[in-house]
Amino acid sequence: MTRPSGLAIYAFSYLAFLYLPVLFLPLFSFNDGTIVAFPIKGWTLEWYRQLGGQETLIQALVNSLGVGLTAALVSTSMGLFAARAYVRYRFRGSEASEGLVMLPLVIPGIIVASSMLVLFISIGIKPSLTAVILGHTFLALPFSVSIMKSAFDDFDPSLEEAAFDLGSGVIETFRRVTLPIVSPGIIASLLVTFTVSFDEFVLAFFLSGNQPTLPVYIWSQIRFPAKLPNTLALGSLLLLASVALLVVAEYFRRRSSKSTI
Amino acid sequence: MTEKNIIQLQGIEKHFGSFTAVSELNLDLREGEFFSLLGPSGCGKTTALRMIAGFQELSAGKVIIDGQDMDGIPANRRPTNMVFQSYAIFPHLNVGNNVAYGLRNRGISKSEIDTRVSEALEMVELGGLQSRGATELSGGQRQRVALARALVMRPKVLLLDEPLSALDKKLREQMQFEMRHLQQELGITFVMVTHDQFEAMTMSDRIGVMFDGKLVQVDAPPTLYAKPCNREVASFIGEMNFLPATVAAETDNHLTISTPCFGTMEIERNPNVGQTGREIEIGIRPEQLEISAHKPDNYDGIVLGKIRDVAFYGENVHYHVQVDGVERSISASVPNYFHTVDYHPGDSVWLGVQGASIIELGQNQSKT
Repeated sequence: MTRPSGLAIYAFSYLAFLYLPVLFLPLFSFNDGTIVAFPIKGWTLEWYRQLGGQETLIQALVNSLGVGLTAALVSTSMGLFAARAYVRYRFRGSEASEGLVMLPLVIPGIIVASSMLVLFISIGIKPSLTAVILGHTFLALPFSVSIMKSAFDDFDPSLEEAAFDLGSGVIETFRRVTLPIVSPGIIASLLVTFTVSFDEFVLAFFLSGNQPTLPVYIWSQIRFPAKLPNTLALGSLLLLASVALLVVAEYFRRRSSKSTI
Repeated sequence: MTEKNIIQLQGIEKHFGSFTAVSELNLDLREGEFFSLLGPSGCGKTTALRMIAGFQELSAGKVIIDGQDMDGIPANRRPTNMVFQSYAIFPHLNVGNNVAYGLRNRGISKSEIDTRVSEALEMVELGGLQSRGATELSGGQRQRVALARALVMRPKVLLLDEPLSALDKKLREQMQFEMRHLQQELGITFVMVTHDQFEAMTMSDRIGVMFDGKLVQVDAPPTLYAKPCNREVASFIGEMNFLPATVAAETDNHLTISTPCFGTMEIERNPNVGQTGREIEIGIRPEQLEISAHKPDNYDGIVLGKIRDVAFYGENVHYHVQVDGVERSISASVPNYFHTVDYHPGDSVWLGVQGASIIELGQNQSKT
């Protein structure tokens, strides 16, 4: 081993700067005390145990899961068809429409959130989980489109032609050939879009009304110092779940680009 | 092969915007023949094949398969099946399910599907490989699976789009014969698209040569080689020396011509060449030329020249001979009987040619 170079030290401190704060979350969630400060008073699982009994929390979790699942399903199915069209066909306005689909990635969330609130109220959709689902679908669409595009990029168009040539109709071809071949991409897209929705705060805060999602619930709890350790425990669990989901999603995304021959 | 026409292409055309991919193509394919569409890339041969398959709509004309007009009949209901250039093996299915794919669309009983799949796999020498994964196959095996998957459907016509271009040379040559044997055993009409003249000549009963969207000549391989209909076909298939010539006299079957280097001689008319003027072009295959250090006897035309280049090909040697009165050197090939290269650049040699070996190519179109 040679002495660590300047570049290695830089890279290391960069990573530490990024991830050290995140590590404090699980660390203090096991702290046997309500004040978040060193030294650690002792180790406990009490904060995790208490989570089980909080009904509003459970309700927020159910809300989030419902919103996440619906937004993931809707945005992935939209992304599937959009991506196939972008990859397979040249049509007028294809680049413009792709640019529009990707736009949510760069518009500030607060702008999207406030404009959606105004829009939804003016067309009669009250702040509710439905409104959050619509907003999250919009936010998740660029993710599903880009994941599905990479799935279709390696998809040989003559596979669909071969199925058609062998007697399948259009729907049969889609079900027996297209869908199975891009299914790793679909799974990856479902997982990523679910995560996008599950973690999202700003839109949910504006649009959820009196049905908070989990991030909105956490924000509301942070104001009470006594509840802080609970929030830390909850946050740690969410962190774990998010990382796990993204790892699985990445696994499927890579499999989808390898599956074609 | 029967006299029945299994496919009739009647003036089919395909335009993409202002670009004409296929223009007014008329062709009758006989039942049970191995037919190749041969031409350089971009000549429209694949488009023509895809119009037969039903993947490409016609801009004009008619495709008739087994007496039935295919207008409005989509690919999935045509009595044709296709082997794709990429083979298009379904990556998520194993070999058995790939081959069974089309049969499952037809409501055939499971036991019959199994029987037909294993027969088809036996036929392409992949017997017993049903459970092999599609991604575990070699290039040659994928080609065989693609063949089995199409043939198991018992199509009236099998369409093959550059079926051997993805294989290496040795395997390609082996598959040429296997596919030819398969076609003859089954008696199914094969229509193959290829840019490889050797492939087309080895496998086909007849070849259709296409340039720039037009079908230029349709003939059996030996005729195509001996009596090409124009300079383009002559230079695309095999090697050819081109020379200008002037017609001095003509009869129904023969022309008396004077050439810049071989003097005056009598040659056969080429029935595939259209109308002739006085200034014509002739072609001589390199292997039809005698090359000798001594003045040869018994040749209709002889000329003295100088070796410019020697190309050693292994099975034969090509000598490029510079001759007075001809701008480009004339290429003569000699089989490598004795593992020797007899002449070297700078050597003086005689070239001899028989009038019967000279191919009339019609009116001289070249600008030189």
